[in-house]
Amino acid sequence: MTILQDLGLSIVAGESVAILGASGAGKSTLLGLLAGLDVPTSGELSLFGESLGDLDEDGRAQLRAGRVGFVFQNFQLLPTLTALENVLLPLELSPTAGADARGREWLGRVGLGERLDHLPKQLSGGEQQRVALARAFVTLPELVFADEPTGNLDPATGERVIDLLFELNQEAGTTLVLVTHDHALARRCQRCLQLDEGCLAPLSLEEVGI
Amino acid sequence: MTAAMGDPLSGQAPSGRGHWLALSWRGLRRDLRAADVRALFVALALAVAASTMIGFFLDRLERGLERQAGQMLGGDLVLEQSRPFDNEIRQRLRDAGLALSEQVDMVSMASFDGAFEPASVKVVDDAYPHYGEVHVERQGELERVATGPAPGEVWIAPRLAQLLDIEEGDSLQLGATSLDVTGLIEREPDQQGGFGSFNPRLMMHMDDLEATELVQEGSRVEFELLGRGPSEVVASLQDWLDTLAAEGVEVQDVRRDRPQLGNALSRAEQYLSLAGLAAVLLAGVAVAMATRRYVDRHLDTAALLRCFGATQRQLTRLFALQLLWLALAASAVGAILGLVGQAGLLMLLSNFLPLELPPPGPMPLLLGILTAMAILAGFAGPTLLRLKRVSALKVLRREFDPLPASAWAVIGVASLVFGGLLWLYSGNLTLSLAILAGGMVMLAVLWGLGALLMTGVLHLASRVPATVSGNALVVRLGARQLARRRRASLGQLLAFSVTFSAMAMIALVRGDLLTTWQSQLPDDTPNFFAINIQPNERESFSSMLEGAADSRSALYPMVRGRISEINGNDPRAAVPDEARGDNALRRELNLTWRSDVPEGNRIVAGEWFGEGGQGNWLGAVDAHAAGDAVPISMEDGLADRFGLRVGDTLTFAIGSAEITGEITSLRDLDWDSFRPNFYVIFPPDVLERFGHSYITAFHLDSEERALQRELAEAFPGVSLINVDAILERVRELLSQVTHAVELVLLLVLLAGISVLYAALIASRPVRAHESGLLRVFGAGDRLISRIQGAEFALLGLISGVMGALLAELAAAGLYLGWLDLSPRMHWELWVVLPFGGALLIGMIGHVLSRSVRRQTPMASLGLLGEA
Repeated sequence: MTILQDLGLSIVAGESVAILGASGAGKSTLLGLLAGLDVPTSGELSLFGESLGDLDEDGRAQLRAGRVGFVFQNFQLLPTLTALENVLLPLELSPTAGADARGREWLGRVGLGERLDHLPKQLSGGEQQRVALARAFVTLPELVFADEPTGNLDPATGERVIDLLFELNQEAGTTLVLVTHDHALARRCQRCLQLDEGCLAPLSLEEVGI
Repeated sequence: MTAAMGDPLSGQAPSGRGHWLALSWRGLRRDLRAADVRALFVALALAVAASTMIGFFLDRLERGLERQAGQMLGGDLVLEQSRPFDNEIRQRLRDAGLALSEQVDMVSMASFDGAFEPASVKVVDDAYPHYGEVHVERQGELERVATGPAPGEVWIAPRLAQLLDIEEGDSLQLGATSLDVTGLIEREPDQQGGFGSFNPRLMMHMDDLEATELVQEGSRVEFELLGRGPSEVVASLQDWLDTLAAEGVEVQDVRRDRPQLGNALSRAEQYLSLAGLAAVLLAGVAVAMATRRYVDRHLDTAALLRCFGATQRQLTRLFALQLLWLALAASAVGAILGLVGQAGLLMLLSNFLPLELPPPGPMPLLLGILTAMAILAGFAGPTLLRLKRVSALKVLRREFDPLPASAWAVIGVASLVFGGLLWLYSGNLTLSLAILAGGMVMLAVLWGLGALLMTGVLHLASRVPATVSGNALVVRLGARQLARRRRASLGQLLAFSVTFSAMAMIALVRGDLLTTWQSQLPDDTPNFFAINIQPNERESFSSMLEGAADSRSALYPMVRGRISEINGNDPRAAVPDEARGDNALRRELNLTWRSDVPEGNRIVAGEWFGEGGQGNWLGAVDAHAAGDAVPISMEDGLADRFGLRVGDTLTFAIGSAEITGEITSLRDLDWDSFRPNFYVIFPPDVLERFGHSYITAFHLDSEERALQRELAEAFPGVSLINVDAILERVRELLSQVTHAVELVLLLVLLAGISVLYAALIASRPVRAHESGLLRVFGAGDRLISRIQGAEFALLGLISGVMGALLAELAAAGLYLGWLDLSPRMHWELWVVLPFGGALLIGMIGHVLSRSVRRQTPMASLGLLGEA
């Protein structure tokens, strides 16, 4: 089954891009491909200038290490690790001096400085997503992928999480690729793209509603 | 995941049983691809294989032994009395459906050419023997014949021929008649064991009995009526037989008078049952672990079915039926494996086992299937109930999973079922309850210990600085994953440590059994018995053995006496019903006296003569003179059979005199020791006045056999009995039993591995999630596999330590309580189990998680289809 076809897209450093589309349009699949979490059946993909097609699973993982952050719709926190441990996880893979302090600092920045030792199940959905945000930015990545980051949150909480996401993004000057069906959210990105029946088309600001 | 069941409710609403049968069957067939279903299948099949293999084998062995007992007794039912039987009795036996044969036994003088020797005469009819064959040498040829000598002929033991200096073809004088010697008896099928009758055998035909004129008023003659037929027939006559017994007829039948298996074989039997149970327990643990995954995987299906309107009852029925199919299929495969396995066991033991064994019966098969069902219900039941409790809302909201089954409920129900199986297999409720209670306590202790160790591991892991790389990082992350997944890890830890300890215990017991057997029969085990040494020959006999024979036992005086009263009553009335036919009541016992405890005997109750300030045994003389009871020491097993304790009294008829003894000590001894052993020992100075001879046992190497001839010439009255052949047979048996034990050990190991497999399958999704995330953050395959390896190895290591502890305690309990071995520490356990465990779990885990690591992060995180 073909989910995506005839796609051409390039994203430059520092840019923030929203990919909009209805449910089932293949947004998440596209995100997975962009991040090298999966491989396309045909076509060319490159990340940080390197062709993903030339790399095996391990090579793609190495390319991501420390340079790419992720925020998922369903948070993807390890249920058995504390908030701090979850944030430290990416740092531990490429040992860094002062990792612990950095983890605490980032959790402080997302407003969870008091809840370092809580397990995910002891945190609300919004708090869990904020832990995920801290985890995405703790390695000072060059690129952050966000997959429906507010999908599992109520509007008010979602709003706060999004504010935080863009705030952190701006501070760090990170490239942001955001997948969503929420036009309000997409509006805050510099560029919006519409994914429809497997095809990608740029959207003007008017179309997004600005 | 929902695809596992397809769309079972499409079409019409479910109706009727057939529909659900078909539905469950289809569901199972689609499910066979799933690793957990395969693990369930393998575990159940192994449980059935273990239980049927051992069940078939033991069942056939039991029935074979009953047959052999029939052969040893000479029939399935033997009546014996000192006067001829009435025709009425014969008729009653025939009417019941038994084939009859008659015998007359007596001791009489045989003479030839002026030499006289006492012979143990056995008079047989045309129907002799009911079972087996006589090995007889005729004209230098050894023949096996299923008959006795013809009228006018006698067959005699080679020793009698030697003593009388008579040859085949000569005419032997017996009473008032003379008979032609036509054969030398090498072996009789119905040879009742031991040294009960020391006179050499003479066998003749019933038709010649009258002519001998030996059966006279007052002569000691035993008349025997031997019946052959199914044991049900014998059982149906029981009431009548009891009245006969009350009238003084000695009644022996195969069920009651079955020869006991040798120590080695009966321990091997116990070992096999034990190993079978261990395999069943392990399979149960595997089932429990695999079920967790099975249920997790079917929660979505169950929720969907609830949405479509299935009731809880219908859900229960669907999944129960599905597993029933699985259990039946696994039982079939297991039963076939069991049949093949028991054939293997028999092949290993074929040289030893008596005659051909009866074919496998249906009982073990039923028991095997019952075992599979019980395991499924007990070890999987509580977890399966989760499926029933699933809410339809789960379809909409993931987090609406029903609460996991409480660990204590799972363990509790499983323990109850296992206890039931224990009871079923062992037939011993107290033992089963004790094992069960001990097991529960041990589990609680292990649980606590495991939790403690886990905390320790977590603590240690957090001590490793976050900045390290390489191995330290791997260990840190692996240890943390393990310790953080506390609940699941504890479950695995328990399962693995129980598995390791069961495997270790079976291996340990095997080793200790073998060592015990080997040390029981060292190379210099006595291979000669000398009996009938007269008091005046004692010194010279001893001095001739001096220096030549090693490993000699002491010379024991021997006085023959019959138990005439127990606690002042008729002995038959004083003992429990099942002991009425005991040999020790029917025959004369060999009594001895000694001032110290014989070698190899152990006092288990009371005190040996003169110990503990009870006065000197020399007082016994005065007691006896005053007509009071003298102290005696009794063998523990006989006392147990007769229901006697320290303080009970026994009266012995020795010749025309009677002596009463009071039991002051009970001794435990090893009947397989190839040394003279005695049921009853008197203190010195009581029995000396009776006629007595001496017995001893010693070892002669083959190069020292010249001494055997010298002894025979110097002491013509002494009987030298060579037991090399018996010894050889016992040694051979031990080595064959060893092989059988190893075969069963292999089965237990397989069951153990099935546990590891099931447990790792159950934890696969969690691990997949973890490794998927790590990969998203940029971890490579090598790093992930090393982290998982570290985690598995650590799990194996801790399980090994706990398993060693458990095995050590359980083995000690078993040795004391069941196998009758002395417990000891096994240091090797504490090394082998932790490191072996780390290696084994590390390896199996590594292999099993390969497929997990091969998944793309998208798949392992379940990102596809989420958006």
